[in-house]
Amino acid sequence: MLKIFAATAKELLLLRRDRTGLLVLFLMPAILVVLITLVQENVMELTGQKQTKVLFLDLDQGELGRSLQKQLASTTLELVVWDERQKEIADIQAAVTGGGYQVGVVIPRGASARFQKETARLFQQGKEREKPGEMATTSVQLFVDPGIMAGLRSGVIAQLQMALTTIALEAKLAQLGGVLAQTMARVGVEPERSPLAGDKLPAFFRQPLLDLQENQGDPGAIGAAQYKPVQQNVPAWALFGMFFTAIPIAGSILQERNSGIWIRLTALPVSPLVLFTGKAVAYMGVCLCQFLLIALIGAFLFPSLGLPAFTVSMHPGAVLLTVGFSSLAACGYGIFLGLACNSYEQASTLGSTSVVAAAALGGVMVPVYAMPQVMQRLSIISPLNWGLTAFQDLLLRGYSLSAILDDLGRLLLFFVVTALLSWKLAGIRK
Amino acid sequence: MDQTAAMKAGNPCLPEPGLNCVVSARSLVKQYKNSDRPALNDFSLEVQQGEFFGLLGPNGAGKTTAISIFTGLFPADSGSVRIRGLSFQEKEHEIKGILGLVPQDIGLYDTLTARENLNFFGKLCGLSGKKLGERIQQGLEFARLTEHVRHRVATFSTGMKRRLNLAVGLLNEPQLLVLDEPCVGIDAQSRHLIHAQLKELNRQGTTILYTTHYIEEAQELCSRIGIIDNGRLVEQGAPPALLQQSGRGNLEELFLHLTGKELRDT
Repeated sequence: MLKIFAATAKELLLLRRDRTGLLVLFLMPAILVVLITLVQENVMELTGQKQTKVLFLDLDQGELGRSLQKQLASTTLELVVWDERQKEIADIQAAVTGGGYQVGVVIPRGASARFQKETARLFQQGKEREKPGEMATTSVQLFVDPGIMAGLRSGVIAQLQMALTTIALEAKLAQLGGVLAQTMARVGVEPERSPLAGDKLPAFFRQPLLDLQENQGDPGAIGAAQYKPVQQNVPAWALFGMFFTAIPIAGSILQERNSGIWIRLTALPVSPLVLFTGKAVAYMGVCLCQFLLIALIGAFLFPSLGLPAFTVSMHPGAVLLTVGFSSLAACGYGIFLGLACNSYEQASTLGSTSVVAAAALGGVMVPVYAMPQVMQRLSIISPLNWGLTAFQDLLLRGYSLSAILDDLGRLLLFFVVTALLSWKLAGIRK
Repeated sequence: MDQTAAMKAGNPCLPEPGLNCVVSARSLVKQYKNSDRPALNDFSLEVQQGEFFGLLGPNGAGKTTAISIFTGLFPADSGSVRIRGLSFQEKEHEIKGILGLVPQDIGLYDTLTARENLNFFGKLCGLSGKKLGERIQQGLEFARLTEHVRHRVATFSTGMKRRLNLAVGLLNEPQLLVLDEPCVGIDAQSRHLIHAQLKELNRQGTTILYTTHYIEEAQELCSRIGIIDNGRLVEQGAPPALLQQSGRGNLEELFLHLTGKELRDT
């Protein structure tokens, strides 16, 4: 046991003096988690998962603009209202095409009067047996940045169209109510006894008879939260950093192999198992520190950057266990790399490429559900996917330890396989 | 198994009953996968207790392969090796406990200080507490590095590194010290110090197995030498006796006579 402690202490001492290695291990995942989370927050805004800002210029200053603002108040569109005395259509157009805003809406001058006139004329036309197709349409001007994603474009247009349809329908129903009241009066029915009279029709129209109720996937999960980049990115990039420790581990082994140290160690009365255990213990400590650092950044730095805070409200023990098993898998891979490669250049190239590939495949950069079907199937071979799935089950879905045992088992199996391969290679490298 | 028991069990290295044979190698054969000829071919050698044995040979003759097998770094394809009557298959841990190896490449951590290197390797030798502290201090004095104890090895000259490399190999007070070209690339002062220290160690009873390219070095230090070429021990004996038998004027002449003048670019 003393020899394991000696090997661990030596490894930590070497690491403390390797500033570049420390930068790779701690600064790189810390920067990535901040940058990617900030970027993804913006992506969520762009994809409509958060409120989308819409420039609104009401040149008309009439009922139509007020109704539209009222209708849009309950949507995910956040109106940025410009003063009609200072801005023109060209300004909106410039702001949208310049990329400052993604969507702009303009109510042209005279739109309300024209809309009311045409609504009134609708039933007048009916009396005169005119064709409805000859009605003049009142247009609301829409400017959309051509660079925005199709999903956001469709979503914004659908919400605006829905608001305009509602305003038009309410206006038509109000007009119809008036016509009906006049008709009832002519045939001797008192207006208050008619269910269709006056302003009752729009009020009936607003009654919600159908509703869409959203439910969580698993009713047994506790503390389940809506998808948030912070809860996804903190464990994801911590995992990425943990698996990147494979490169310094491999580098440390290769430094020993390519100098007289390996020969000296092999000639000492100490098992390679003791030496590798010492290394693994040291780097598992490093992985734990990485996770804690990134979790602290998520909890305390993110709120000051306008991001939600990272929380580990449920099962902190299970989260730590996932950190432990993930770092075990990372250490196993690092030791394997150090024995399989012949130079640091080989190990760093193979290590960084494989870890980035496993991270991409595992859902660290893009969620697995957003990948093509083939890639989704392939993602189950990535150790980072196992770790990330376990973290998501704990932090996003609110599951307990029992739900992640299969993922922890896979990480443990990965460690065992890499350790056995390393043992075999250590024999060959003698 | 103690030494006497090992001898009774049929140790092949028994020049005389009761005498101490530290290294006994019989008919060793070793062929590397990427080579078309064996590195060792029917190689046999015996080193007695208290000897300062020099193994000489041109590049690629098999010196490093031989001492790698003697120190348990890897096994021979065939043949037997016993260290103090013990075989690596049965008593690897015990053998490594009485061995000290000074590798040709510097076996030190560059970013650790001299003391930190000695401390780490000392602990791996099983030393701890006061004993470890004493051995570290002795190692630093042996290598004349007490003034540089807090300096990182990366800042050392080659001579300082070689001296520390040797000091680390002595931490466990080995009965058999194996040195692979310990004086390569160092200045005369460091070489002189290392030679003096090795002579003193040998005088105190440490058996030394020493490989070198420098024939005059072997002549100065060794009580007996062996010349290896193409994986075989082609000659062995005390330097004066070898010269007398061969009728050559010096060891270099004898060496070139036995190994030829062809360049050995391996």
